[in-house]
Amino acid sequence: MNGTGAPRRLGSASQAVVWLTGWGRGQAREFVLIRSKTISTIDTDQLGQLLTDCAQGNRRAFETLYRTSSARLHGVALRCVGRRELAEEIVQESFVRIWNNAARYDASLSAPMTWMVNITRHLAIDLLRRRHEEPLDEAHLQALADEGPSAHEQLNQAREATALNLCLEELEGMQRQSILTAYFHGLSNAELAQQLAAPLGSVKSWIRRGMERLRRCLES
Amino acid sequence: MNYQNPTLRRALAADYAIGLMPPTARRRFEHLMADDQALQVELAQWQETLATLTLPIAEEPVPEQVWDRIVARIEPQRLHVPRRSRVRHWARLTALAAAVVLAVGIGMFYNRDEALYSATLVSAANQPAVQIRAFGQYLQVEPVNLASAPVDRSMELWAIPADGKPISLGLMPAGGKGKISLNESQRKLLGEPIALAISLEPAGGSPTGQPTGPVLYHGEVVTL
Repeated sequence: MNGTGAPRRLGSASQAVVWLTGWGRGQAREFVLIRSKTISTIDTDQLGQLLTDCAQGNRRAFETLYRTSSARLHGVALRCVGRRELAEEIVQESFVRIWNNAARYDASLSAPMTWMVNITRHLAIDLLRRRHEEPLDEAHLQALADEGPSAHEQLNQAREATALNLCLEELEGMQRQSILTAYFHGLSNAELAQQLAAPLGSVKSWIRRGMERLRRCLES
Repeated sequence: MNYQNPTLRRALAADYAIGLMPPTARRRFEHLMADDQALQVELAQWQETLATLTLPIAEEPVPEQVWDRIVARIEPQRLHVPRRSRVRHWARLTALAAAVVLAVGIGMFYNRDEALYSATLVSAANQPAVQIRAFGQYLQVEPVNLASAPVDRSMELWAIPADGKPISLGLMPAGGKGKISLNESQRKLLGEPIALAISLEPAGGSPTGQPTGPVLYHGEVVTL
């Protein structure tokens, strides 16, 4: 590919985000991320087709869907609840829901993986909320405290260079931390304020500004 | 509050997407969103943005027994639809023919867009109970003689394709008459030979995604 070393867009109608990073002797490496595909290394069209087939009751398609996406959803569940036995339960429940609700998936609104990730995350957060009613134990407090540098390091170990890494880098520490905690653990504004030992107003503004910044960065 | 204010809409969708809304606000937002496609799109964009947060998470292989447990959970639960007798069959055809004439008449009189499919659902006693017409984006429900669900129950509408595995089309409108909006895959279903059925479910619909209660009404879909 001919790299120019400067960011450019592919086709005005496409949602492609292309950025180029030049290295050495005129060599440029190009990373192409179609927005709807950023979420998955698996082809979005293929997953969409599998969901359509599941909606028609196709069990083979469901098994293929499971084999291609269960490890990712398991990772997400584990990230939310921090405990393996709970994460497996969430994966199980997620796929039962995916099978039963495949007909409700609307391809015009979201990428298939986004839809599935949201099912998993909601189940995980529901489970966390039910457990919130019990006093927090040490393991759970530990899981909540993991949004600091370690999460950041984890992001640096990302499998591929993504726009996300660059965009998350842009967020200030507290913006990033409050967004990740709210998203993966389902804490309310008030709980976040307590968790982060910060005034409620600050938490709200970190999240609002951080999210706007993240979205604008990913869209640019 | 002015829900047309773009900044407010964007902020509300963001709060909803990340999960920061208390339950009452969530319900209010969902209610707003039901008739507001632009808001659905706004929310979808936030969800897409946020879902990228899961990208760096390492994949975790799942033990094989999880798949076995999933399979055990989704073994097809066949929906029991009463066998049709010859007399019932003719009664049904007559009811359908009458419904089609009625649907076409009403359709020509009222509607800007035309119904594509129609079905008259009958009770176990073969009495026409409700007429359902499908338009491009929604179903129009017209009760003929429809019982009302007990307060703690909901009636749920199902499409039953040739393979017999019911797919939910949503809850029946409260009070009987009204619209049920369809998503893309539900719309596709209507082009195929399907039957419709209404079952009695816990309030808010079946918790399992498959019918759990008795089938109250059923009928075939005809192309207009």
